[in-house]
Amino acid sequence: MIGRHEAALARWLVAPALVFVVIVGAFPVASQFGLSLTEFNLKFADERSFIGLANFVRLAKDATFWHDLWHTLYFTGVSVSLELTLGLAAALLLHGLVRGRTAVTSSVLMPWVLPTVVAATMWSLILNDRIGLLNSVLTELHIMTEPIVWLGPRFAMSSVILADVWKTTPFVAIILLAGLKSIPRHYYEAAALDGASAWQSFRSITLPLLKPFVAVALLFRAMDAFRIFDLIWVLTGGASKTETLSIYIYKTLFRYADLGYASAMTVALFGIVFILSLGLIRLMRVAVEAR
Amino acid sequence: MRKMTTGRSPIWVFRALLVAACLLPLYWIANVSLSAPAALYKTPLDYVPRPPTLENFRAVFAVNQFPQNVANSLVVASATTVLTLGLGAPAAYALSRLRLKRKNAILALFLGIAIFPAIGMVGPLYVALARLNLINTYAALVLPYTLLTLPLAVWILTHFFSTLPSSLEDAALVDGCTPTQAFLKVILPLSGPGLSTSAILIFIWAWNEFLFALIMTSTPGSRTVPVALALFAGLHELPWATIAAATVVSILPVVLLVSLFQKKIVEGLTSGVER
Repeated sequence: MIGRHEAALARWLVAPALVFVVIVGAFPVASQFGLSLTEFNLKFADERSFIGLANFVRLAKDATFWHDLWHTLYFTGVSVSLELTLGLAAALLLHGLVRGRTAVTSSVLMPWVLPTVVAATMWSLILNDRIGLLNSVLTELHIMTEPIVWLGPRFAMSSVILADVWKTTPFVAIILLAGLKSIPRHYYEAAALDGASAWQSFRSITLPLLKPFVAVALLFRAMDAFRIFDLIWVLTGGASKTETLSIYIYKTLFRYADLGYASAMTVALFGIVFILSLGLIRLMRVAVEAR
Repeated sequence: MRKMTTGRSPIWVFRALLVAACLLPLYWIANVSLSAPAALYKTPLDYVPRPPTLENFRAVFAVNQFPQNVANSLVVASATTVLTLGLGAPAAYALSRLRLKRKNAILALFLGIAIFPAIGMVGPLYVALARLNLINTYAALVLPYTLLTLPLAVWILTHFFSTLPSSLEDAALVDGCTPTQAFLKVILPLSGPGLSTSAILIFIWAWNEFLFALIMTSTPGSRTVPVALALFAGLHELPWATIAAATVVSILPVVLLVSLFQKKIVEGLTSGVER
């Protein structure tokens, strides 16, 4: 009796969310797969035709797509590696903090909770070649004589990575801090009794036990970095070799109104993110089982 | 490890550096917002406002849509939070505590939404919402935002419900409650901490969202704060001091939320990570 009631209740509780996701979400997702097989430009909305995999063939030959894929991979690889390294350092600094913990944690969280657009605006004010803080400080310290164009071709990608690292390292730090807190203190006490140095216990206790947390942070960060849009859009607009796949899709969609081709690119991007996340989830499982 | 907890070691120097690195860009934008617009063109720059002025803030509120943009952001973020929790909390309860067929398929659906590139949903959703005449309305943002925050809410709340002792429902059932009554009378009143944690993260997410807000609104009066900020540049000729003041206004709610609820935010971020 209760079992049947429970099952009915469960269905009723899940139904609204499910119906919502199917109506609002499944439709656009599914339509992307359909549209990717059509020639469909909103400027000539009447001339819609099925062209099979032609969009994907075009994609494979599109130099811009390959360049942007490389920018996206480079951005993801460099920024996520830096975020994991600095995030671990920040987590170690936050761990064991008692006095001033609230103030320090709030400060560290600040970059992460700010709107990306705001972070981008802040970094524009710092990196701007004429009025920026960075060039002013470097000039005063006599480190440089000519203003450096930080958002120009030479440094734009590094600048974008810097802004992203500033904004999202706190997220990694918070996840890894939870990991540090989960390690029982007596492991370290036992190691110290056996004469292990601080570095040895870091290598053989902290790092291995932290692996699942590193995996979670890596998964979330890599997926977001791979789909990066707003930070780059505001900082460079995709100029100076910083155009990523999301920005190329946006341009295809809203400048050229080429819905069919944009959909094919979306499907490709989804495919890459999907494979990436499967790989990272597998890594995560391995890390958890190794615990 | 023990070394780190002892008194005045160099670790405090590194902690100070960490805090400084996080706050420096905020300090700088606050400084620019409180300085005269011409101060930015001095060489070298003044590193404190000399003299401080509120002229930029007056300029922000003289741009007559900006208060409207702030109001739009508040409405959209609040409505998204309520709708997402209304849909997500019951679903999360069922997924974590009740017997349900095809649980994994449902979870996979949410996961799929979470990893699908948002840029790919924008196009078809725009076409659909335009057909329903909803572009430039709150619904054009609240519906996609609810879709995109649901996985997060379900993730946090599923974990939250699974931490409640199952003896709660058992006791209610023994006392003659039906499972529905057990959910409404026993579990919901205890859900405050889980709901507030997810509410804060959903609100911040919706307050900050840019891509959908950029595309689903086309009139100055219907924009949210992030889009208004990003388009400020096009409206006037890069009035950096005014942009800085607008930025400071736009981050006040978030700064307030962090200062008040940093513990809840940390809980939300790490829920499901710890087991």
